[in-house]
Amino acid sequence: MNRLICTYFLRVAVLGIAILGSALQAEPWTVPRTALGDPDLQGIWTNATVTGLQRPRQFKQLVLTEQEAKRWEAETSGFFESIDDVPDEGVQAGEDVGGYNSFWLDPGTKAMRVNGEIRSSILTSPEDGQLPFRLGARFKLFQFFIQDAMDGPEQRPLGERCLMGFGSTAGPPMLPVVYNNHYQIVQSPGHVMILVEMIHDARIVRMQGEHVDDVIRPWLGDSIGRWEGDTLVVETKNFNPGQSFRAGIKSQYYLSSEAKVSERFTRISDDEIIYQFTVDDPGAYSESWTGEMALRQSEGPIYEYACHEGNYAMPGILKGARLDESGQ
Amino acid sequence: MFKNSIVIALCCLCGATALADIPRGADGKPNLNGVWQVLNSANYGLEPHSAKASMAMIPGPQGPIPAPSVVALGAVGAVPAGLGVVEGSMIPYTPEARQIQEKNQHNWLNADPEIKCYLPGVPRATYMPFPFQIHQSDNATVITYEYAGAFRNLLFNNTVEAPIDSWMGQSDAHWEGDTLVVVVTGHNNQSWFDRAGNHHSDALIVTERYTLVSEHVIEYQATMEDKNVFTRPWTIRMPIYKRVGADAQLQQFKCVEFVEQLMYGDLRAASN
Repeated sequence: MNRLICTYFLRVAVLGIAILGSALQAEPWTVPRTALGDPDLQGIWTNATVTGLQRPRQFKQLVLTEQEAKRWEAETSGFFESIDDVPDEGVQAGEDVGGYNSFWLDPGTKAMRVNGEIRSSILTSPEDGQLPFRLGARFKLFQFFIQDAMDGPEQRPLGERCLMGFGSTAGPPMLPVVYNNHYQIVQSPGHVMILVEMIHDARIVRMQGEHVDDVIRPWLGDSIGRWEGDTLVVETKNFNPGQSFRAGIKSQYYLSSEAKVSERFTRISDDEIIYQFTVDDPGAYSESWTGEMALRQSEGPIYEYACHEGNYAMPGILKGARLDESGQ
Repeated sequence: MFKNSIVIALCCLCGATALADIPRGADGKPNLNGVWQVLNSANYGLEPHSAKASMAMIPGPQGPIPAPSVVALGAVGAVPAGLGVVEGSMIPYTPEARQIQEKNQHNWLNADPEIKCYLPGVPRATYMPFPFQIHQSDNATVITYEYAGAFRNLLFNNTVEAPIDSWMGQSDAHWEGDTLVVVVTGHNNQSWFDRAGNHHSDALIVTERYTLVSEHVIEYQATMEDKNVFTRPWTIRMPIYKRVGADAQLQQFKCVEFVEQLMYGDLRAASN
């Protein structure tokens, strides 16, 4: 019996030394590469997070403590659960029936972790975590929110029209929304394809290419890429004027069609890409602004998001407005 | 030239035949990367058809005439002839399913999903009159289509059945020699094969075969099985051509905004 025990402990000790030894000898992580030799960014990624573009007023610093983060995450989760609450007396005809149940949402449960820091905002510059709006741009955004017009489909947000996802999910810059926060990256010779789960929008980045003529204004803009060391840099311009109001629950901002957006994708581990962006839009902002996020690897596949094909809400919204006008 | 023709002919007969002079990726598989497009009238009708004034015709005093809603389009709304791409010419419908196709064709303006910018389904996405891009890397292959921004992710080594029906279906892919074979399941029953009202049920299984026969040509074949609609499997074949130079750049055709007037115009405010 004693011999058996001794043998057991000896084996455990040998195994322990072997594991320790292999850990000490482990090679440092190196970026995986494609067959073409470029850093491999491919896979399915998510940016779902509690953290929004701008810093909430309750936080003064970019970096939060664990305790602050836990409280914030619990508050946010409580908010999204509360949308299922129905008043005891029910909802009467003509009253706001609300939108999605929480079942349909996937807004992230954690504050954004970047390089070991817990972040209160995606914005890293300006330092106060607030967008440096010029008055005109702030007013345009305000006007967009308050008008809530329903005269025709063009007045509704792009998400309701199934033209683009809510907020700035497709971007660029690509920012988290309250569901469908997945992206797929595929690298082929001369191109990097970034699929946005919302509206199955595929942004095809032409490597070392030239921008299209200024009169061509695609949705998601026109993106040209290059490698700077192991970082993919994507420059986007020629934005469609219809994409200026980026209005989601987690971020609201204005982007003029003359803006330039620069994105940087750097893979830092098997399961994380650091995504940084700078928005340069001098007509709308007093200075450039910069953000930073982590894209975390996610299991796939991404399922089809056929929004337009099932858009029963748009005729409902317009018909409701017409009935309202006629006093019915 | 004669030798090449024999090689291509052999390849068409047997997709698994290895071709030495086609571009290949680092893994040795045929390199399908690029922007591709068919040059045929299959989207008007897979079966053989003559040219005619419109897809929407009504009886006229001396024979069919274009329906009032398309008259203004003149020659732009006319239909080019097609030799047909179906093996054996005609789709082997059950009698009931043929009647539905005829009804669909009669009702084309109201019923064709393409008119409302709905996703095209497979195989129609391949022969829409728009290019598509194959993005093939060592560990993923996806296809982006210019029309409606349709998208397919080809799943290799997948063993999970499509969990839900969708417009573009689930694409399970594997290589048979030099031929990329994609079995597409999980279709909904709402997509059509063409503007002629050719249709299917949600039991449809499409087996596509992409064989690169030269640097610039893919021989495309798709076999349709659907016991609810067809009496036997049937196959279409067509070449797909590679766009080169400045033409090899996919543009954007997000047509949702183009159909808002059609779909919601009658719901505008009187002042709008």
